[in-house]
Amino acid sequence: MSQVLHPIEKTIIKLLQAEKNLTESQIMEKTKLSADQTRRGIEWLRLKNLAVVQESEQLFFALGKNGLVANKEGLPERKLVNLVSGAPVPFDELRKKLLDEMNVAIANAKKNDWITITKNDSGSIVSLKTKPDPTSEEKILSQIGEGKVQQDQIKDSAALESLKKRPDYIILESVKTKTLSLSEQAKSIDVDAADSGAIDVEADVPMIHAAKTHPLKDTIGEIREIFVSLGFTEIAGNLAQPGFWNFDALFTPQDHPAREMQDTFYIKDKLAQNFATQAQINSVSASHKKGWKYPWNLDAARKMVLRTHTTCVTIKYLAEHKPSEARVFSLGRVFRNEKVSYKHLVEFNQVEGIVVGKNVSLRDLMGIQTQFYKKLGLNKIKFWPTFFPYTEPSLQTMVYNEKLDKWIELFGMGIFRPEVTRPFGITRPVLAWGGGIERIAMLKYGLDDVREFYNNNLSWLRSTPKCQ
Amino acid sequence: MPVVTLYLSRLQKLVGKTNKNKIIDALPFLGLDIEEQTDQYIRVEYSPNRPDYATDVGIATGLQGLLGIKKGIAKLAIKKADKNYSIKTDPAVKKIRPYVLGLIARGGKLDDEIIRQLIALQEDLHFGVGRRRKKASIGIHNLDAVKLPLLYTVKSRDHKFVPLATDKKVSVSQILDTMDAGKEYSPILGNASGVPMILDAQQNTISFPPIINSALTTVTTSTTNILVEVTGNDSGAVSDTLSVVASALQGLGFTLYDMKTDKKSSADSLKARNIPLDSNLVNQTLGLNLSSAQICNMLRKCRLDAVARGKKISCTIPSYRFDIFGPMDLVEEVALGYGIQNLVPTLPSSVSVGQKSITTLKLDQLGQIMIGLGYTEALNSSLTSKQILYNNTKRDSAKLIEVAESKSQEHTVLRDSILPGLLENLSKNIHEQYPQKLFETGIVFSGNSPIIESISLACVSAHKDSGYTEIKSVLKSLLKTDSNIECRTKTSENPMFAKGKTANVLVGDKKVGIVGEISPEVIENFKIRVPVSGFELVLSDFIL
Repeated sequence: MSQVLHPIEKTIIKLLQAEKNLTESQIMEKTKLSADQTRRGIEWLRLKNLAVVQESEQLFFALGKNGLVANKEGLPERKLVNLVSGAPVPFDELRKKLLDEMNVAIANAKKNDWITITKNDSGSIVSLKTKPDPTSEEKILSQIGEGKVQQDQIKDSAALESLKKRPDYIILESVKTKTLSLSEQAKSIDVDAADSGAIDVEADVPMIHAAKTHPLKDTIGEIREIFVSLGFTEIAGNLAQPGFWNFDALFTPQDHPAREMQDTFYIKDKLAQNFATQAQINSVSASHKKGWKYPWNLDAARKMVLRTHTTCVTIKYLAEHKPSEARVFSLGRVFRNEKVSYKHLVEFNQVEGIVVGKNVSLRDLMGIQTQFYKKLGLNKIKFWPTFFPYTEPSLQTMVYNEKLDKWIELFGMGIFRPEVTRPFGITRPVLAWGGGIERIAMLKYGLDDVREFYNNNLSWLRSTPKCQ
Repeated sequence: MPVVTLYLSRLQKLVGKTNKNKIIDALPFLGLDIEEQTDQYIRVEYSPNRPDYATDVGIATGLQGLLGIKKGIAKLAIKKADKNYSIKTDPAVKKIRPYVLGLIARGGKLDDEIIRQLIALQEDLHFGVGRRRKKASIGIHNLDAVKLPLLYTVKSRDHKFVPLATDKKVSVSQILDTMDAGKEYSPILGNASGVPMILDAQQNTISFPPIINSALTTVTTSTTNILVEVTGNDSGAVSDTLSVVASALQGLGFTLYDMKTDKKSSADSLKARNIPLDSNLVNQTLGLNLSSAQICNMLRKCRLDAVARGKKISCTIPSYRFDIFGPMDLVEEVALGYGIQNLVPTLPSSVSVGQKSITTLKLDQLGQIMIGLGYTEALNSSLTSKQILYNNTKRDSAKLIEVAESKSQEHTVLRDSILPGLLENLSKNIHEQYPQKLFETGIVFSGNSPIIESISLACVSAHKDSGYTEIKSVLKSLLKTDSNIECRTKTSENPMFAKGKTANVLVGDKKVGIVGEISPEVIENFKIRVPVSGFELVLSDFIL
């Protein structure tokens, strides 16, 4: 524990080296420190084991509301005798003056044998017997007065009991007193010599919250960097897309479950205009008719949806640029009309990359994936076959998570089907892969509720370290 | 994705000649995701394009190939029909639900587990291939309760029979109005007065497609002979559906018999197809160098047949593999036969230089400055609620863009501004330490047709001394630091901001945003207890 002493602490130690045991209020009085300073000083000394605090409890009597009034104006029976001290007074007249206190006053005055009550034709009349001296109850009232009196200083316990029976006359208060004495170590401190001007460098300080980027944004940024480092160039596209680019262009039949309202967000009353060239529409339509054998409908393709994947950005890029060589990626928000839960959001981030080239193969796709995961610090991966409507062959990656001690499904990948690429005149293989980013971010930040990313809970934002 | 429960001892018996561990290890390489695993059973998820994996029989067929126990096509053996094995179609039904196919399966044994699997298979086919029974629906019946031939016809809504799992005769109207299946699938039938009905030779009702079967033909564990009928409005879906049921029943030990319908018989519809495959395509796509013979072997491991002549391979595909469209699907089969675990990753030989988009770079830069100014980044959904976006902020909702039928009430409207979301964030953090300073960049939506997507930056500062001067300083500093832009502020009014304490942000003569103190009423609406000031800039309008 630090031996740096605050001036307050020094003052108190100095005082206690002269006088062994002092209460908090005594210290306050003698040092002229404020109540707050005194309290803090005592607490500091206690924490540093320089002082011993002994708490004791003492009981005090104070006057209650009625007691304070009685001390000023007299007890009801005293008021009564004062009223009849000159001459006898009729009962009714006294009642008008004493009101609620009348009964108590009569009862006590009679009990004390101060008055006599006589009856005549017009009613009862009260007359004084003797002018009484102050009673023991009255003595207690004036002894306490407006202050407090320690329990053991009131000797007349019978009178006290009697006063306690009166409503709100006497209050019993318990007061805790701290008595401070120095520890052995503190007794020998040379206060004047200790630490000239030093401060307690070990003491706690107020927290400053550094402003920073959002943790999910950091993961997104990291993934973007990895793509760039692998030679990929970023492309972007709209979040609201015609069904054509989100579904039809990717060979998703118009009656596919994914296209229904319960899975996809359709924008109310919005139909896309001029969303593709006539040639593009014709060849996509032909591909659907040939592959899926159904009457393809232009109106379904015009319906505006919130994109369900970033693949619509990729296919549109391919259709517009028809590259013979390319490495591009797109990253951004996608939407699913699902019930929000700890593992589902209606809106989340996805990344998708493609490689176009003359001789690129499925093994190359696996190789790029392996590099990607390595850069994320994930070295244990395996590939499994899976199904995606627009890639063939299709694979998914399983990544081993050390923290959770289990295999976790991450990105999906595959080679775009000829039914997807050929309508746009793309003849070379297109390797495609991607997936949700929140999933990676959850692993990174050890979250088990994906909603946390969008809650913007300041205590979480402020407390989550940048490096994970 | 659908899930199927596989009892390991059953599966092992079906696969034959191998141990349980090999089976478990091979499952993922069929494309099956293991959901749950115990000593007795495994639950796996299968892709909707492979409904043949809805039963353990189908999965066993796949495993036999992959494990090299049985290779090549598991051919459907369909025996010739007896003369009564037919379904006559009444022309009237063609307008309602035109297609029907049937099949007889004899001499099999059913137990509770098999019946459970058949029901699951039926449901998955109804959902996937059948598109919720619209394109195709299946009826599986106890053949011995039926007098052949059948008639596929139209009956009125007064027609009565005892539906499956009940014991009282009820009318079609009652079924459609009161029973679950009736209520769920009646839209398929529309408003026509007639409905499709399958009757047997004694005029007994066998099935009311696509709604419900009759109780008369209920399949139980004592059923040994089965009648399958599939009806629908898509002939391809009808035969695809039948093919999966047929191969499952054959796998369960039933002998299949043809049934004749007006146009086609089941044997016609369930014929295997041939697709040619070039070995060059396989090797290029997979990055391998396999001989044609090796490729044929791998296809046969995937329960297809293949013969090679030079580099040309002729591949025979059973009818239940309707997921195979063309050569590229066969390349995937080769990959599965080769074993994904045996494919060694390589890197593409091409080299290219990558770069981030200009927008990303710009937003990163602006974000850094905001952080330098002490603002913490928040992230909100672009789909939000009318309450937050308009009601609480008193903004005009006339041009709101809504999505249809959202499952979440908090996500129904596309945001046209970022500030409301940030105010909502403040309202959720009133117990946290102040000052609270937040910013967000993101896409906002406006316009009608087309919808315009712009990128905005907004920030809020909430603390007891927050005010106009402070936030204008932040605004000026941001633009100055980023692009040396001097902006001006011109008095304006906005319902979200306090009167006399708000301004339009002008760069040159163009309005690019708004800045000011949030109106006390809006602050109250969000239950925030300190003053808030903020600004929002449409970056797309001047800086991006």
